[in-house]
Order: sequence, then C-alpha cells, then structure tokens
Amino acid sequence: MKVTFPHMGNVYIGAKFLMDGLGIDYVIPPFNSKRALEIGSLYSPEEICLPFKIMMGNYIESIERGADTIILTGSCGPCRFGEYAELQMKILKKLGKNLDFIVLDLPSDIGFDELKRRINKISSQSPKSKKEKYMALVNAYRIIGLIDALEAKAHERAGYEVNKGECKCLLNECKRKLLDTNNPKEAISILKEYHKKMDEVEISREKNPIRVAIIGEIYTIIEPFSNLYIEDKLMEMGVSTKRTLSPSWWVYNTVLLSPFGLTAKRIRDAAKEYLPLGVGGHGQECVGEAILSYEEGFDGAIQIFPLGCMPEIVSKSILPSIARDKNFPILSLVVDEMTGEAGYQTRLEAFIDLLERRRGYVLSGN
Amino acid sequence: MKVGIPKGLLYYKYKPFFTTFFEELGAEIIESPDTNKEILDLGVKLCTDEACLPIKVFHGHVEKIKDKCDLILVPRIMQVEKREFICPKFCGIPEMIENNIKDLPLITKAPIYSYSADKFINWAYETGKLFTKSYVKIQKAFEDALKEQNNFKEGIDHEGFQYKIALIGHTYNIYDKFINMNLIKKLNGFGIGVITHEVVDDSIKHMEIKKLFKRPFWTFAREYYGFASYAVKNKLIDGIIYLSSFACGIDSVIVELLKLEFEDVPFLLLKIDEHTGEAGFDTRVEAFVDMLTRRKRGNLA
Repeated sequence: MKVTFPHMGNVYIGAKFLMDGLGIDYVIPPFNSKRALEIGSLYSPEEICLPFKIMMGNYIESIERGADTIILTGSCGPCRFGEYAELQMKILKKLGKNLDFIVLDLPSDIGFDELKRRINKISSQSPKSKKEKYMALVNAYRIIGLIDALEAKAHERAGYEVNKGECKCLLNECKRKLLDTNNPKEAISILKEYHKKMDEVEISREKNPIRVAIIGEIYTIIEPFSNLYIEDKLMEMGVSTKRTLSPSWWVYNTVLLSPFGLTAKRIRDAAKEYLPLGVGGHGQECVGEAILSYEEGFDGAIQIFPLGCMPEIVSKSILPSIARDKNFPILSLVVDEMTGEAGYQTRLEAFIDLLERRRGYVLSGN
Repeated sequence: MKVGIPKGLLYYKYKPFFTTFFEELGAEIIESPDTNKEILDLGVKLCTDEACLPIKVFHGHVEKIKDKCDLILVPRIMQVEKREFICPKFCGIPEMIENNIKDLPLITKAPIYSYSADKFINWAYETGKLFTKSYVKIQKAFEDALKEQNNFKEGIDHEGFQYKIALIGHTYNIYDKFINMNLIKKLNGFGIGVITHEVVDDSIKHMEIKKLFKRPFWTFAREYYGFASYAVKNKLIDGIIYLSSFACGIDSVIVELLKLEFEDVPFLLLKIDEHTGEAGFDTRVEAFVDMLTRRKRGNLA
C-alpha cells in the first residue's frame, strides 16, 4: 500500500510525519502547479468548485508516482465538499485507475464501526506497536500545530520586520528542512528551533503596518496556490496578516470539539447578529471573523472563495452590510482556474492603497 | 395583515401549505406576478453577482411586492428530511434578502425543519405569533395547511406521446415558464411527453440510492438520482433532459453522477441563466429530438 492525500496548505507536513511515524509508505503529491490544475480541470465536471479540480490534479500526479490509496476527509453537507469522494472515486475509476479510497467521515454519519473499519485499513498496514501508533498520531498533531503557529507568526511579524523578507525566508527554509527528515522527533526540534529564530527576527514596533484579516472558504485561504499566494504577496508589501482557519484549527474544531457542539463557538457567536444559523462550509465563520477582525482593530479584511461556492455566496451578500455598519473595508476575491494574476494583483494593491489612505485621512482629519 | 408570497424558489412545491396557513390566520395574500423580464432584471440588479438564477429571480419577486404588504414570506427551509439538506443558500436566504434589498417590510426568518410535524410546527408558532395570540388557532391553521399540502398532486406524467423523457431539475426551474422559456410546451410540440421525479414514490428513490458509495446528503440529489435510476432501469424513458441553472452547486454534482452512471442514455443538459437566448436553447432541444428519432430508427433497422 502506498498512500497519498490531496494538498491543502501545510497538511502535507502533518500527514508526512504521521505516515513516517506509522511506517507506512506514502507519496506526497508534487506541489500544486499549473500542471496539476490543468490535469485536474480536464477530468473534473465543468462547474464544480476549484478545490475539486486541484485535488484531482494531485491524485493523478501521485498515481503517476505509484500511489494506490487515497486518504480523504469527508463531511456530510450541506456544502459540496461532502460529495467530493463519491465523484472523484467514480471519475478515477472511469479513467481506469485502480485505487482504494479511504474516506474519513464523521462517526455521526457513518457510525463508529464503519469509521473504525476504515481507520483499521490504514493502521493495519503499519508494522508498529499500538503505543507507537498512538505516539505517531500525537506527534503529527503537534507538528501540524507548530508549523501553523510558525506560519501565523511569520505572517504577523512580516509587517514589523526591519530587514525585509526575513520572515518569509525563515518560513520557507523551515519547510524545506522538514522535507529532508523522516523522523517526527527531529521535525519537532526543527520547528522549535525555527520558532525561536522567528522570535528573534529584528522587528520595530513603531512601524504600525497595515493589518489585514484573511477570511473566507477554508481551502482557498489555506492552500496558497489556489489564492495565488496572497499571503506571500502581502508579506512582500509589508502587510501584517492574520488567518484564523488553518489545518490544525480544523482538526481541533471539527474532530475534537464537534461532539460537544463547540465548533468555532467564539466565531459563530460573533456572527449571530448577521447570520444566526449555519449555512454549511465555513460561511458563518466567515461572517464572524469579519466582525471579530473589526473588533480586534484590523484595518480591513479580504474574503477569498472559489467561484460558485454556495456558503460563501451567502456570506458575500452579508459582508457589504458589515462593511457599511462598521465602516470596515472588506474585499471579496473570487478564484477559479481562469483567475489571471495581473488583475488579481491590481485589485489587491488597490485595496491596500485604500487602507493606507484611510489611515492618512483619519490622522489628518483629527 | 397583508402577506406577500413571492413566486420564486420552492413556491411551486409548497404553495398550498403557505397559502392555506396564512389564509386561515386571516391574512390577505398578495402573490407576486409570474416571473417576467422586469422581475428578472430587478433580481439581477439587487442580488450578489455570484448567486444562481433562481436566487436572483427570488430577489426580483420580493422587490416587486415589498411595498404592497406588511409581511413577506421568505422561507428558510433548512431540512425536509432527516439527515438531509436542501442547499446552503436556502439556509441563508432571509439574510441575503435583508442585506440586498432596502426598505423591506417584515420578513419571516424562522427556520423550517419539515421532516416531522413536531419540528415544523415551531415555524408555525414563530410566524403565527404575528397574527394571533392563540396557539390553538395557529395549530389548527397549521394542520389544515399540512392536509392541503398532502392532497396537492405534484409532478407531470404525460401519456400518449411518441417519446417520453425524464425532465430533471429543480421545481423552480421546471415550473417557472418564463425562465425555462416554456420548455415543456416546446417538448410536447415535438411529440415528446415528460415525466418528472415527483411521480415516482419516495421509498423507491431511497432504494435506488443504495448503490452509491455515500448516502447523498441533499434531498434534491437523492430524489433526482433515485428517479433517474428507477426510470432507466424500468425503461420508462427514451432520454433525460436536465434543466439546470448556471452556477448551481448541487446540479454540478448530480449531473456528473448521472452522466457517469447512465452512459448509454441520451442526455441533454440545458443551462439557463439571465443571458440565455431562446434561439440557441431551441436549437439544442431540436437537435436532441432529432437524435432521439434517429436512435429509434436505427434500433428498428
């Protein structure tokens, strides 16, 4: 068995060390690229959302490298993501690929026994003892938490750094180093080392950079390829960014908190005034985060979602009201396989310009 | 009190329930006119660009009648079956309307969970409060309305035509003659009878979806897939026409499922949006009819 999984931001790092810890053979799909997107779009339904297409590209590129089992998390609606597995399985089968799909759905929908059976399919391949398997899981969870935290730190500090580009360099260096090792323990020490390095990056608190929150559909904000590396672009502009949603946030909120109905409670409570009920995906979270980022004193927010995303269309209708009521600029960016980089960059620059001028105006107005 | 009922979204399905309910509570009902160019244009102007056509049309209907009534029915239909959903946009439709349209009268915002009468009646209490303080009265109106709804005969099943096709699509696309450019009449003109999913019993659809890897969590997906699967298996139809609105997330999945499953069945996907031209639409339907004719001739020879 050679497993693979689709890309989504830093997920590959967590998954890699989980498989390393379990001693299971795996393929990390090549990083998302134009090629992956082109292959994916070719075999995907025309009107499906962007994540589906990129994921298809990942699978096919992994299959070319010998993968025969795909691990995917599931959901049960009302957003389209829950139907991904069904369609992808059928399409790949039609393409003549002989594959095993392991879909990890919530037990509330498929039942505990079924989930256990599916997890067993993976863990039975592992030569390790029960305790080692458990440790592999714990370590992987720690690693994904550490890399997400490191990334968040880099995004925040990029606005304050004295030597431009330092945070970005450190982050990339750390990710490269992580790929060179197969030992989860070593990975944790690398991450800790880089956390320290990141803390030591020379910053000046006087800089008072523009601060922007990244909100919207979880895949397109986490996977940098799908949003044309918006966070890197903002880092280069010297903008400090914050994104609440991350793979570790998802694991914590969806896997650990959902049995208690506490998923994203703070964010959802904040959204109540504008959107009292969940609309699937992370639509309600998007509204809540817009309000929270206003309350936390951000200069603006950027919403990103794939074309046709149903939950985000609802939140996009609501965001202009929040922007009006709170005098808080929000930019909505829609991405799909046809998004052109130049137009996208222009809109982003114009938005940052607007935020800068607003500040100037407020200061001189006083 | 004057209650406005917009003729959009699931109006064609749940009309008997809502009209009876409000009439029993002593309301005067104002329906918006059938969809027309003006309503479509209003909807397109007011609604978020990315939304699908039916949502835009619904915005148009609300805008059209908002000045004439005290309360507008904006049904937030969350679930009609246990463990199934409708569409994320339905869950947020009152908020979309509220934020996109100015100077609104009251709108109904209570969620509807109609998989059981016990759950459903919460909506009735919440909405009925505006009319009367008497729970008994609301309960009576609710029960009568349910009865009316259950007596309502849905679906189309034409007999005596040369060919028969399954017309699949959301009720608000199939029964709105303006946005589908009178498709059913056109098909009849070509000698094609139509059968829709409501004709097939729900329990059959539940059986048919068992062959999928994952239980579909959209009511629409279960109904359409189950119906198509049953109709193909029992040779009820000569082909399938899927009427879909552009950017419909649910359709994008169901269409693909059907295409992958029924490779040998003639399949036409008709997309409608606010720019659809009638001539191109007609040509595609004609070509499909020609294809059906040739197939039949080929089979005979």
